[in-house]
Amino acid sequence: MTPDPIAVRTVSTLECRNCGAGAPVDEHFCPQCSRILALGRHGDYFSFLGLPRRLVIDQAQLERRFRDLSRQFHPDYFYNASPTERLASLERSSYLNDAYRALRNPISRIEHLLAIEGLPSAKSEDPTTSSGSLRAESRGAGTAKVPPGLLEQVFELNEQLDEIRESRESGGDTATLRERLDSARKPIDLKREEHEREVESLSARWDEQLASGSPADRRTTLEALRERLLERNYINNLLATIDREAASLEARAG
Amino acid sequence: MGKVVGIDLGTTNSLVAYAREGVPHVIRDASGDALVPSVVSLGDDGTFFVGREAQRRLLTAPSRSVYSVKRFMGRGVDDVRGEAALLPFKVGGEAGGVVRIGLDDREFTPPEISAFILRELKQRAEDYFRDQGEFDFEVDRVVITVPAYFNDAQRTATRDAGRLAGLEVLRIVNEPTAASLAYGLDQRDRGIIAVYDLGGGTFDISILKVEDGVFQVLATNGDTHLGGDDIDRLLVELVLRELGSSGGSNRLRAEGASASLAEAREKPWRAEAEHQDTPYAERPAEEIQAIRKAVIAAKLDLTDAEETEIRMDALGYRRRITRAEFEQLIRPLVERTIQPVRQALADAGLEPSEVDEAVLVGGSTRVPLVRRLVSELFGRAPHSELNPDEVVALGAAVQADILMSGRREMLLLDVTPLSLGIETMGGVVSKIILRNSTIPASGREMFTTGVDSQTSVDIHVLQGERELATDCRSLARFKLRGIPPMPAGLPRIEVRFQIDANGILSVAASELRTNIAQTIEVKPSYGLTDQEVERMLIESFEHAQADVDARLLIESRNEAETVIHATEKSLRRPNFSEIATVDLQPGEQERIESALDALRQAMAGSDRDAIRERTHDLNHATQHLAEVMMNRGVREALAGKNVKDV
Repeated sequence: MTPDPIAVRTVSTLECRNCGAGAPVDEHFCPQCSRILALGRHGDYFSFLGLPRRLVIDQAQLERRFRDLSRQFHPDYFYNASPTERLASLERSSYLNDAYRALRNPISRIEHLLAIEGLPSAKSEDPTTSSGSLRAESRGAGTAKVPPGLLEQVFELNEQLDEIRESRESGGDTATLRERLDSARKPIDLKREEHEREVESLSARWDEQLASGSPADRRTTLEALRERLLERNYINNLLATIDREAASLEARAG
Repeated sequence: MGKVVGIDLGTTNSLVAYAREGVPHVIRDASGDALVPSVVSLGDDGTFFVGREAQRRLLTAPSRSVYSVKRFMGRGVDDVRGEAALLPFKVGGEAGGVVRIGLDDREFTPPEISAFILRELKQRAEDYFRDQGEFDFEVDRVVITVPAYFNDAQRTATRDAGRLAGLEVLRIVNEPTAASLAYGLDQRDRGIIAVYDLGGGTFDISILKVEDGVFQVLATNGDTHLGGDDIDRLLVELVLRELGSSGGSNRLRAEGASASLAEAREKPWRAEAEHQDTPYAERPAEEIQAIRKAVIAAKLDLTDAEETEIRMDALGYRRRITRAEFEQLIRPLVERTIQPVRQALADAGLEPSEVDEAVLVGGSTRVPLVRRLVSELFGRAPHSELNPDEVVALGAAVQADILMSGRREMLLLDVTPLSLGIETMGGVVSKIILRNSTIPASGREMFTTGVDSQTSVDIHVLQGERELATDCRSLARFKLRGIPPMPAGLPRIEVRFQIDANGILSVAASELRTNIAQTIEVKPSYGLTDQEVERMLIESFEHAQADVDARLLIESRNEAETVIHATEKSLRRPNFSEIATVDLQPGEQERIESALDALRQAMAGSDRDAIRERTHDLNHATQHLAEVMMNRGVREALAGKNVKDV
């Protein structure tokens, strides 16, 4: 088996703080003294849950795994344990909840895969700034730039929205405007559906390549997935803009 | 080890429950009453009354009696201005700070008032365990429930109340989730449960998935200011409007009743802003409380009756009210629960038809209109087999049992009701942990500096769903210190936010390049600092001693009065001079009379020991007299009867 392109994990073994024994990073309890292990810097939700790095997953299996591990880690069961174990339980439970939440949803599942495969999506780890004297830094470039595949739709939609807005402000008929807004929305809805199908087929392709594909093929699939996610964010923003305009219309009508 | 109990610290009533071998029971008082009214009243002699007695005092000493304090937990003065205007006790505090309640010349924060209620419940539980013959009867740890929609500040305030009452709060559990646990005991099947919880002051909706004994909350929503209190207020306002127009009593509120707090904290009990149309301002507090009591009685009647009467003889007010009228009046309030229900379902990704069971919790779900609405919302009749007042406390006891026994058949997985974020440039909130995330949950955010050699960074933590910081709830401001001096933008400071299983936040930070941990100063926006809680603890011990003293004094007085009364009764008997001549020794009557005088004098003061000693003396002086009287009584009784009747 060929190695993964870039490993995010920095720690390959854990050390039990109770007995000092070493444990593989995906173990939750010390193989020697069976105490709960401190989390360390884990980075892979799939392996944490003991699941293969697949995008099409068995939802029921994920949930079973989540419940099983919750039963093992939850702080409710560590009330009488040592402070170290209580902290480990809190950290492992939090991490489990994050992992379950990320993998449950197909989109965040892809985002996580991209991150652990070394292709961080729009949500990067760039430092943000607080309201104080901190320097502003953009949170990744994904949302500002129009993805090339959407240029046409975006241009058309913005034009129509401008017109509708103008007409609304100068007192145009609500019913007519509502109709125009619906027809402006249609191509975006279609684009989104098409988009979802693409994401699904790319996900299935990734799963196939995981077993038999070349690293280059896998890389291509991941890059395509990243591209789709950026587009997806943009499409959602467009739909939100349309919804806001619809709300303004309804507010005026009501 | 001590006992661990479950407490439902409610807006209107509070309860304590205990699970024995996994089966929860509500702990009742001698008369079988499970509910402790969440009312605290300060007596003229500095004694505190809690529960039923305090509730009675709402009518006689309204300005010294606090109710619905839960609505003020973890809130700032600015949040409560409107509703505080409608309450008979003083609500104030510094602008931007925590609410303070003025009773007489003392001031209390809401956690301190709640601590009185918790102490009462602790006492009740300990009495119960002692009566059960348990050697180990002390209650030192608790599970307390809160509305699911409580934010971090409200949860922290609840935990502080526990600490102030001398209780370690093992866990804060959401009320609807606790209720589902109590229901789950009987019906351990799988499926989607919706818990609709409308209590005295708050509304919660939680959607849960139950499988393999894991109670997993999928989504929660609610309104921390919507409940039976609001229904009562509508009815009170109705009565006041009608009294106003029919020329009823129109006395002015007693002067000076609210003038003792400093001006900044003064909150005269006067209708303000949105309540200007109601004639609250023109009524004395006693009258409002009497009206409140009458309308609550009518509200309860209308649960079963189609019509009833609101009757206030003292005010010459009588009014027939039908259920239809009542429902028309409260419909807008009840309908405010619809949107949170829809949002919770949407967040859970479910249609109403996918809900297998709907469960009703909270006293206000007895209102028939509420039941109809819930049936309509979910397309099925809701469950209400368990007493909606008791089910939350039962669930808390089950959770306490899980924590103590380590049994793993059942597990609660709750969520955080509100998103957690930090303020970024331009006052925009950057979300770090999203609402409805299963707890415990953690989040990380990377920070850097904006100026060369900057060594500290201010961080503002907020909770809420809105985009702008000003629209969210300010939780705390942190100062990250000890950043190694570096060129601007170079430090990589990782701030870790951890929400624990109680839904309470903690923060830690470290600079990743140097691996130096940062110190964080926590300044809760609407809560108490640890130092404040410590100080209050000390004060409460001091006052607790004062309170105990006051109570003991009252008990001594009561005992003295009983003895004085009995003695006087004997001395006043028409045949006393005959008794004295025949049965008493020379000088005995004088000794009794002088002991009586001595006790009367002691009673004029407040020296408890003196009263007790004189009581003892009088008892001693009258011992012989009492025997004489008893013997005479027996003889007299026998004299009038035949031998065979004896």
